Amino acid sequence: MYGAPPPKQLAALGLLVLAGFVLPHALPDYFLYIGNLLMMYAVLALGLDILLGWTGQFAFAHIAFYGFGIYATALLNMRLGIPFVLGMPIAAAVAALIGLLIALPATRLRTVYLALATYAFAECAQWVFRTWDSVTRGPDGLRMSAPQIFGYMVGNDRDAMPVIAIILAVMLGATLYLVRSRLGRAFCAVRDSEHVAAASGIDVKRTKVLAFTISAFYAGVAGGVYTLFQSFVHPDGLGVWTLVLVLTMIVVGGSGTIGGVLLGVLLLGVLPEALRAAPRGLLVWQEFAYGLILILAIMFMPRGLWGLVIYRLRRKARRGPPPQAVPVPALEREP
Amino acid sequence: MSALFELRDVTMRFGGLTALNRFSMQVEAGSIHALIGPNGAGKSTVFNCVSRFCMPQRGEIFFDSRPLLAEPAHRIVQLGIARTFQNIEQLHRMTVLETVLVGLTSRTPRYFSFAPGATRARAERRAVEEAEEILSQTALIGFRDTLAGELDFGRQKLLDLARALASRPRLLLLDEPAAGLRNREISFVDSILVNLARERGITIVLVEHVMQLVMSVADRVTVLSFGEKLAEGAPSAIRADSKVVEAYLGSEAAHA
Repeated sequence: MYGAPPPKQLAALGLLVLAGFVLPHALPDYFLYIGNLLMMYAVLALGLDILLGWTGQFAFAHIAFYGFGIYATALLNMRLGIPFVLGMPIAAAVAALIGLLIALPATRLRTVYLALATYAFAECAQWVFRTWDSVTRGPDGLRMSAPQIFGYMVGNDRDAMPVIAIILAVMLGATLYLVRSRLGRAFCAVRDSEHVAAASGIDVKRTKVLAFTISAFYAGVAGGVYTLFQSFVHPDGLGVWTLVLVLTMIVVGGSGTIGGVLLGVLLLGVLPEALRAAPRGLLVWQEFAYGLILILAIMFMPRGLWGLVIYRLRRKARRGPPPQAVPVPALEREP
Repeated sequence: MSALFELRDVTMRFGGLTALNRFSMQVEAGSIHALIGPNGAGKSTVFNCVSRFCMPQRGEIFFDSRPLLAEPAHRIVQLGIARTFQNIEQLHRMTVLETVLVGLTSRTPRYFSFAPGATRARAERRAVEEAEEILSQTALIGFRDTLAGELDFGRQKLLDLARALASRPRLLLLDEPAAGLRNREISFVDSILVNLARERGITIVLVEHVMQLVMSVADRVTVLSFGEKLAEGAPSAIRADSKVVEAYLGSEAAHA
């Protein structure tokens, strides 16, 4: 893609912020919680998709950067009294820096080797969260104090929603611009063919490192968002289950498309809440169900639901006048 | 005239296989130089060494008297060398226009990617204008927003050429641009190559099996066989060379 995002998309960002301010006065707490959760997952998934869907790198360290964002933002606030508006950017920047350091060796790996190495890193990070008692409270989990934003105490979902909506709008806007930039096209080129990318003047290694770094920054921001509406963090929430959930959102929605990722977040973020009504015995199967959905989506819907929608729309458009065949012209030969 | 592009004594081994054995060639500025030979002779390996996808064990490659083997892969196009690919390696999930924009990378200024801005708007507008112009010249403008992977075979080859041309190269390495094309399309490629070389002064190195094209456009032909230079000369001389006829052309092609 190229140029600038269409005005409609930018207007939608404005609507998102507006909704963030209005909805807390209109909806019950439970729905506000779901809204905040979905918006947080949106930031997390958009970030992972930069690496996975746009740059084509099967890297799974994302969950570690997310956990890092949570603990760093919370601890900066609790231990050092650094307010959220400073603490979250610092946490995200440090997450990005770790992402960069991981990328330097990781970009030497491909496909399943890259996936295994980055997954191992995520497991290590979870182990650190679980065992570094003096900092993270380890397996007891960390009770976080409510963050303050310019003296305004964010104590519940109602307070948090406008702030989270603004953060998502900023991250979403940045993503819309990113994918339409020279760098965004470099990501896609690296995904489709590293040879063509390099022969076109794209520094493949640098492009991958940038994708890792930017992706880790998003995860760090998502971690910061977590501290706004949750009061407790436990290492168990920062493992393979959350990773599979975010992966499923991206794959089912449609990787490499912003609309698809948002659709996936909406569908799979709401699903567990809808399943709460199901009998207790069935809930055990939840993780199994997500894995199954993920595998089925990969097999039968490689472009995700969004891909199917776009395909339908295109077919509809084609049913209009048939496309003009463009003849190959014969250029004049020079004498 | 002096050589714009030169391989000197290049040896490239892959494990036990010697793809190029002390191979040298010189390409005159502004000429169309064909590189022909049987499959596996090492023709594409020459291009892959220039693209810096592989590192020769010995020898040197010069472009404009500058040693190329010291440069990283992405710098080659900035120096003025563009290439196309033999097996269609496409940016299959990108559109035709986006593919040419990728080809324009080295000539698009850097800007902050995450927000609007004047530099960005100007850079993007200019790049899109130029990409559209290139698409018009290559008769692809009607497929501007088609995915590259959905184009027919001939147009995929054309798009690969359009992408390479976007960098405004001084030297163009073409890896079998006519393979698998129909006669009508081959004559289109023929006219494009002649136009590029004569009108725009682009030096072309052409790897090709379609002798009809080689004999018609090439100023000079180098024949590779098992990684070594078998013969070199004007097309007419090559056609008459008994070693080349025996190793590659066969007697039928010699009369073509």
